[in-house]
Amino acid sequence: MNAGDEQQQVDSPIEQQTRSLLLASAEQLPWAVRSRLTQARHAALQVRDARRHHRLQRWAPAGAVAAAALALLVVLGPHRTRPAAVPVANGALEDIDLLSSDVPLNVDQDVNYEFYEWAVDEASTAPRGGAAAGAGTASSRM
Amino acid sequence: MAGFATLVSQTDLPTLRKAHLREIQDGARALEAFLAGVERKAFRIAQIALRHEADALDVVQDAMLQLSARYASRPAEEWKPLFYRILENRIRDVQRRRNVRNRVMALMPWRGGEDEDETVDAVAQALDGGPTPPVQLESDEILAALERALAALPNRQRQAFMLRNFEGLDVAGTAVAMKCSQGSVKTHYFRAVQALRVKLGEFRT
Repeated sequence: MNAGDEQQQVDSPIEQQTRSLLLASAEQLPWAVRSRLTQARHAALQVRDARRHHRLQRWAPAGAVAAAALALLVVLGPHRTRPAAVPVANGALEDIDLLSSDVPLNVDQDVNYEFYEWAVDEASTAPRGGAAAGAGTASSRM
Repeated sequence: MAGFATLVSQTDLPTLRKAHLREIQDGARALEAFLAGVERKAFRIAQIALRHEADALDVVQDAMLQLSARYASRPAEEWKPLFYRILENRIRDVQRRRNVRNRVMALMPWRGGEDEDETVDAVAQALDGGPTPPVQLESDEILAALERALAALPNRQRQAFMLRNFEGLDVAGTAVAMKCSQGSVKTHYFRAVQALRVKLGEFRT
């Protein structure tokens, strides 16, 4: 018979008797021993509570700092991390829109053509000598 | 962000706090119930292994403290094997200290008899309680014989027998407590039963 087969017969007489004897002895412990065990149990539970409290105290500052950092990241993060707008690119897009639209471009609305026409007339009708004299007068004054 | 705000607004924080406190209290109650359930058996296991009441109480208290401090957050079903592993480690520590002390004392023959009173005979301890009825006396004698037989077993056999037979751990739990394979547990247990059967043959019915 090997160990596995023996293990199948858990409740052999000697095993039953030893178990019942030991269980009875555990139930009939002296009062002093039971009291000491109760004290030990309470001490163990107090240690558990103390360690839990200590762990909370130890991690509370770190948690507060982490929460503050997270809040700062949430508040400030998107503005800093968002890519800046590129004016050139935006302008190029507007140009493409303008060029591709069917509406005719009104590019000369701000140009003063009358001034240019007057200037051309003045330049063509004015005597050359006058201009040269004016220029010479101006140079003699200097 | 909006989801978090919604979650916070929809969650009742005092309720969360109460639930957390309730969880802590439940955990403490479960641990206390566990310790109350194992403390007597643990004491008897330690007492039989060490044959010394004060040392047995010390190792049980150490095991309780260590379980509570280090493993209370583990699932409750893991507590028993862990507790008995700690207990067996403490028992072994005490036995090693005794061995070292005995070796040192053996080198100093003029102090040889000083600590003899620390080893308490289980029979004498059983009889120290004053006059007992004859039936109780007979039972105590049987128990004392059983304790002597158990104490005479090799450590691993005694551990396997006490954890399996007395504490009621299954093979897997005993293997965790003894930090060995399940096959080893079965072997140790089988040999322990064989040895006890030889020594306590009169127990057989």
